[in-house]
Amino acid sequence: MPRPATAVDVATGLPARAGVLAWLRERWEIVALAVLALAPLVVPALGGALGGQMTTLFIYCILALGLNVMVGYTGLVHLGIAAFFGIGAYLMAILTVPMYPFQIGWLAAAVVSVLLTAGIGLALGAPTLRLRGDYLAIVTLGFGEVVKVTLRNLEQITGGMKGLNPVPPPGAGVKVAGIDLGLAFAIDPRWFYYLSLLALAGVVVAMRRLEHSRLGRAWVAVREDELAASAMGISATRVKLSAFAMSSAVAGLAGCLYAGSLSTTADPNAYDFNRSIMVLCAVILGGLGSIPGTLLGVAILVGFDTVLAPWADSLIQQMNINPLGSSLLSFSGWRLAIFGLALVLVMRYRPEGLVPSRRLAAELREAHP
Amino acid sequence: MPILEVRELEAGYGPIQALHRVSITVEEGELVAIIGANGAGKTTLLMAISGIVPARGGAVLFRGQKITGRQPHEVVRLGIGHSPEGRRIFPRLTVRENLELGGFAQVDRGQVGRDIDEACGLFPILGDRMGQLGGTLSGGEQQMLALGRALVGRPRLLLLDEPSLGLAPLVVAKIFEVIAGLSARGIAVVLVEQNARAALRLAARGYVLETGRITLTGSGSSLAADPRIRDAYLGE
Repeated sequence: MPRPATAVDVATGLPARAGVLAWLRERWEIVALAVLALAPLVVPALGGALGGQMTTLFIYCILALGLNVMVGYTGLVHLGIAAFFGIGAYLMAILTVPMYPFQIGWLAAAVVSVLLTAGIGLALGAPTLRLRGDYLAIVTLGFGEVVKVTLRNLEQITGGMKGLNPVPPPGAGVKVAGIDLGLAFAIDPRWFYYLSLLALAGVVVAMRRLEHSRLGRAWVAVREDELAASAMGISATRVKLSAFAMSSAVAGLAGCLYAGSLSTTADPNAYDFNRSIMVLCAVILGGLGSIPGTLLGVAILVGFDTVLAPWADSLIQQMNINPLGSSLLSFSGWRLAIFGLALVLVMRYRPEGLVPSRRLAAELREAHP
Repeated sequence: MPILEVRELEAGYGPIQALHRVSITVEEGELVAIIGANGAGKTTLLMAISGIVPARGGAVLFRGQKITGRQPHEVVRLGIGHSPEGRRIFPRLTVRENLELGGFAQVDRGQVGRDIDEACGLFPILGDRMGQLGGTLSGGEQQMLALGRALVGRPRLLLLDEPSLGLAPLVVAKIFEVIAGLSARGIAVVLVEQNARAALRLAARGYVLETGRITLTGSGSSLAADPRIRDAYLGE
């Protein structure tokens, strides 16, 4: 196989990177965590709507890292991750809202919801993981739609289009130094900002460790070559199931935080196909199997949707270009087209994603010299 | 008791029957060669032994225990290593990670480390390439990695499918040298080879497989001397 005659990093087989970039690549999570942890102290806007938007961003990051276990590490196509996001959110709500008799407390509810979501993932995975590629994609897509429609139609249980609310804030009734924690969560978005940042940091650390664990290796081995993996004594079925369960559990955790931070499950449309695809695109855009890539992908896509698009719309309005309100002349009208074009360009010019995992980069460079 | 006994094994794909009542035995530490033309069923035989292709009839006994019908990963854990055709290393994992996966079923991580060192003793080039991605190795190095990876699993019986395929003569000599040394370490080997001459020179015994049937068997040297074999497989 031909290789360019440039300096090559022995460990990765990729061209060596020098200086700041290499350092950032090694230490990015500490830098990012420090910046995000200190931000609320210097940016007052985080005490307002921006704080809520950032919380949502962190939650989507968790969701995408969960999806990355299946799509990135294990190479299984999953088009219904939003369903597990929704299941986590609704379980959380059922266990805490006053309409139900459980009300078992925030943390306990989160733990139970995550475990149950993983269990539902296993229940869907067990009969379907024999399917490959396109067929698995169809099953997960169908499951996503079924869950959404079920949530909408089972009004007695899920509240239909109204969703379930109010999900109480964590620590409701618990007083620390004379401050009611629940009240603090309810009035200041910075509390949820920190809670979801903490959860995200925990998930990143867990994913880092998983990547280098026995299980993580087995995921990658199954993705690379199922037959060779079974010749190593790896049970492909069990390994894929574990990936399915792990993805579902992490998506469930994201759902718990989502319902918690909004204090409602919102309506079932929050967990539809578009959401699944958005998260999948983020993972692919950033780099399959890459933790920093996945996070960057989410930051770009969610940032595009929640920050750039409204800003461009208001700019167009201020400039009075579009007095008749035609959607052809608004930024939002072109949002999906721009989004699609960006994806096509990335796939053409950087198929391994923006911050690729070293393994995938090596593979794709061979295929696209 | 032989380490491996294959009794009237039948296997195939869809309507195609690839193996017809194939019976072979392998003793502890013995090197047995299976030779035959393309499509004779050599690879299918190995895959049916390790459970990748399900058996349709007959039985496979490993150390007297029936293993037919078990999943491939269970068979590996009993002590049957399988180095499949085409090497099948993990191209996007490093050489070290490939070797570590060879010891996946081994619980004792320290033992895996020692076994990796031992594999590098057999193939020093692997030690030099530890951090490199498997896919960046040459064909010969990949075959060494595949063999080393299979050995890290500490098999009692090793199924080798075409280890010399597409390699330079010098590399082939090195690979065969290591295979010949496995018997001394108490590892029984079933060697499937196109290179019938080299295989029969190494093997204590050999079987000739023709369109899914065993047609001849004997010691390696007697098969190599058999006029039918010389004619059909040794090109003389």
